[in-house]
Formats: sequence, structure tokens, C-alpha cells
Amino acid sequence: MSFHHLLARSRPFSSSFLCSRGIFSTASLNKNRKSGVPKITPFRTKPLTYEEAVPPSRINVRKGWLSFNTTNLHEEKRAGETTFEDFLVRRFLIGTWHRSLASEVVIKRRHNMVILSFLVSMERLLPRQVYFLQGYTERLLSGWLKMPVKVELQTVASQRDMVFKKI
Amino acid sequence: MASNSVGRWIRSRRLLSFVKSPEFRAEKTSYSSQQCLLHSSSKSMNEESNDLSNQKEATTESEDFRVYQIEGLKKAPSAKRAEQWSKRAPPPRYHSMPIDQDWTNVWPTATTFKWSAIPFPVRQGYVENSSENESVIPSKYANLELMKGPNFLHLTPGHVKKHCKAIKHFCTKWPEGLQTEEDCHKHFPLESITADYVFAGPTLTDDRARKACIKFKLSDLDLDYHAKDKFIRLVGDRYDSATDEVTFESDRCPLKSQNLEYVKFLLTAVYFESWKIEEWEQRKELSDMEKYNWDINKSSKTCLSLLKTIKEIDNASGNETSKLKYLPEDVQDSSSVYDLSEIHQYKTAVEELVNDGENVETLTSYKLAVEKLLNLKTDV
Repeated sequence: MSFHHLLARSRPFSSSFLCSRGIFSTASLNKNRKSGVPKITPFRTKPLTYEEAVPPSRINVRKGWLSFNTTNLHEEKRAGETTFEDFLVRRFLIGTWHRSLASEVVIKRRHNMVILSFLVSMERLLPRQVYFLQGYTERLLSGWLKMPVKVELQTVASQRDMVFKKI
Repeated sequence: MASNSVGRWIRSRRLLSFVKSPEFRAEKTSYSSQQCLLHSSSKSMNEESNDLSNQKEATTESEDFRVYQIEGLKKAPSAKRAEQWSKRAPPPRYHSMPIDQDWTNVWPTATTFKWSAIPFPVRQGYVENSSENESVIPSKYANLELMKGPNFLHLTPGHVKKHCKAIKHFCTKWPEGLQTEEDCHKHFPLESITADYVFAGPTLTDDRARKACIKFKLSDLDLDYHAKDKFIRLVGDRYDSATDEVTFESDRCPLKSQNLEYVKFLLTAVYFESWKIEEWEQRKELSDMEKYNWDINKSSKTCLSLLKTIKEIDNASGNETSKLKYLPEDVQDSSSVYDLSEIHQYKTAVEELVNDGENVETLTSYKLAVEKLLNLKTDV
């Protein structure tokens, strides 16, 4: 079958075809899609933490940043490296504190020190496990990042304590 | 929540719950029955019969109808209770804090906000309506917002006092005779400027820190007119005429100390170079002059010849009123003419007019100088 024959059999490339495939490129149709803004469920059953409930547009108004470092200041270096390291640290913590990480991870950098603060839910963990994981996190990340890493965590009794609103 | 006492607390709670739990009771009973068996060898007959009757009772009990237990109807004591007890966190530390405690021991260094160690109520967050946290601003418990920002709980007056006390040992007295800025400038005329950079990263070194700079006032150097002129020409735009300051800056070497040494070398080299007078410098012409100098310009010769002509005319006419009275008898000696105050005033006025440009002051002084020189009357 030749290429021209195939082309003749294919559907015409019209606006109605685009609509039927669900491809939209106009701004007005994308107005309700925003990153970091969760969708409302029919019976408002989805629990959100304060961090999730406040949209990214309110950062520095109603909520603070999650990364504190000097690299994004004027004429400072290592912006890319720091961003990637933060990404790595967050991924590592989600895996290490699996199902127990109650909040986002706040990464503060002072000089060559990295301070990680987050909330841990004690539903599935014993205190000694928390101590182990804390040391494990500090040791491994210090080795990878070539910086002393300090974990300043706090515990919450349950993940339910973190619920700020339900949507 | 990390401390040894906490661990002990948890262990004791677990033991307590174990005593209360049904497993413990079951173990206890089994132990007593074993005891009975051990003692049975030395037991009397009636004791044995007692044992037998007990066994009988047990058999009659087991022969009774079993009662069907509907699952979930009666609430059985939870087996997980012990585990739950062990998991429960100890009460927050602020409950057991005395009101007259030393806060510097509670919060010795900079650390993340810890709700369990804060003895006062804090809230942070924003609630829009009643659907959010029952329209109450989130408290300090489980509040990530409070953990985000830096806090100053490690910098209370008590902390600062302790820090000062600790570092006072290393402080020395301010040196005598350096009370004012002028004193400092007099004794230390050379100012060196370097910078260290503090930033977040795995290394504390920064290649921007290698830059070194020295600053000094040109008047502090021992220079004559030629040397000063040559110095300014050599350093170019490193000299600021408005503040009379020279700045040498370098970042060509990899280390700060090397750059500092280099700029000091530059200063030495330029200083000695400016004192030298090369052979070609003798051939400096009027157009090469850095500024207007009346003595070597045509204006001085014209002025002298004019005064000579005036003197000749004065001598010939004999009219006393129109004579220039300040002129000496012998005008052929040019040095005596140049020393006259009228000539000196004219010289200054012309130099100012050419060097500083035409403005109200220079033009007025020029006018006055000319009037005086030629004995002109403006009110006529």
C-alpha cells in the first residue's frame, strides 16, 4: 500500500478531529489546570496538609519555601547542583521513611551544613527504628553530598494530625 | 524526643502493660500448675485425691456445652495494646519545665523550631474559612510552617551574655593613640581591601575571594611636581582626582596573599619609576603639558614686552597721571618684573581661567587683574 493511498484513507486533519481526540491548545481551555493545585473530590473526602492546601502562588505570603540556600542569590554559583541534590534528598527520604513521612522535607543549608527537618508519623515506627533511620539518613546523605547532614525531625502521633482541610 | 530517660520510660510502660495483659495471667497459672506437679512426688494421699478431684472438675467443665461466641459481639481485650503503649510518644517536655529554668540550657544552639520544647503557645498559618482546620490557625504541634523559617530562640539576652563572657578572654584593648579616624589614617595610610565569601556548598573556598585591593592617598607619598605628574600618568584611571585616592586591584594570581603581594609590588614599582627622569622626558613640549603654565607660555613674554613698551612711552611723555606707578625704574631685568604683585595676580588669574574654564569667578578675577596691571578705570 503506497503512502498516498494511506493518506487518502486517514481522517481529515480538521478542528473536529482535534476535538474528538481531546487535544486542545488554547489558553482558555487550560485555565483550570494549574500545577500544585489539587482537584476537588465529589464528596470532599481528600485530606490535605497545610503545605498541599496552600497553592504555590501563595509562597512567601501564606507559606514558606521548602529549600533555603544561597545559590539563587545574585552572582552565586551552584544553583543547578543544589537543586538536583535537593531533589535527590527528597527522593531518598520518601523511600527511607516509607509511609511514615508525614510532611514535606525542609532542606536548609548553612555554610557546608545541610539540615533536614520534617515530620514523621509514629503509626508504623518504634522509637528505636526512628533513631536508626535518623542515623542511617545522616550517614548516607553526608557521604553522597560531601557535606555534614543533620536530621532535625519531629514526630506526630498519626498522619491524621497533619490534616488541614478536606477537598 | 530523644533521650535515655524516654527509652527507660517506654520500657517500663511496656512491662506494666505486659503485667496487665491476659498472656501474663495465662503464664502465671501454668507456672503454678508445674509447681504442683513438682511437689506431687512428696505429696500425701489426700493431696493426691485433691488433685484428682481437680482433674475431675476440669473434665466436667470441658464436657459442658460450648457457648457459641459471636465474633465481634464482645469486645476482646486488644492484644495490640502493649504495642500501642510502646509506640505512644512521651508527654512533651514543656509540661515538666519549671518556670524559673535557664533557657540557655534548653535551647543552647541554633536549631529547628521544636514544639515540644517551647513553653509558650505559638500559632502560624492562614485559614480562609471554617472548612480549613475548623477556622483555627494551626498550633505549634505538627506545624511545618514553624519549622521552615529560622528562629532566634538561641539568641536571647541570656545567650548573648554567655557568649560575651566566653569570648571576653580573647579580646584585647583598643590601642592608644588610634581614637579618631585621622589618627588611624596617619599611622596606617595604606588600606587593603579583601573579601571572604560565605555561601552554602560543600566547600568553603571561593575563587572570588582571591581578589586583593589597596587604597591610599597620593598626598601621603613623598613626591615632587614631576614625580607626582608622572605617577598620575602611569596609574591612569586608578587615580581619582576628586578624592586624591589611588586604587590598585588584582585578581591575576590564584591566591589572595599573592595578589596582595602583587599590588604592593605595583605600588613600589610605580613610585620609583615616577622619580626617574628619562632622557626623552626632557623633550617635553608646550602641547605635552598636563596643564597651562603661564611662565613658559607666550602670554608671559607678551606681558613683559607690553610693560616695557609702556615704560618707554611713560619715560618719553613725562605725564605723571597716566604713568604705571608700580613699575620699577629698570624694566630690562625680567625677574624683578615677574616678582611684582600685579604680575603675580595676573598670572594666577590667567592660569585659573585656562585650567578651570570660564566661569563667573575666574572671569571676574581676570578682569580685576587686568585693570590693576594696566591701571584701567572702569567708572569712567
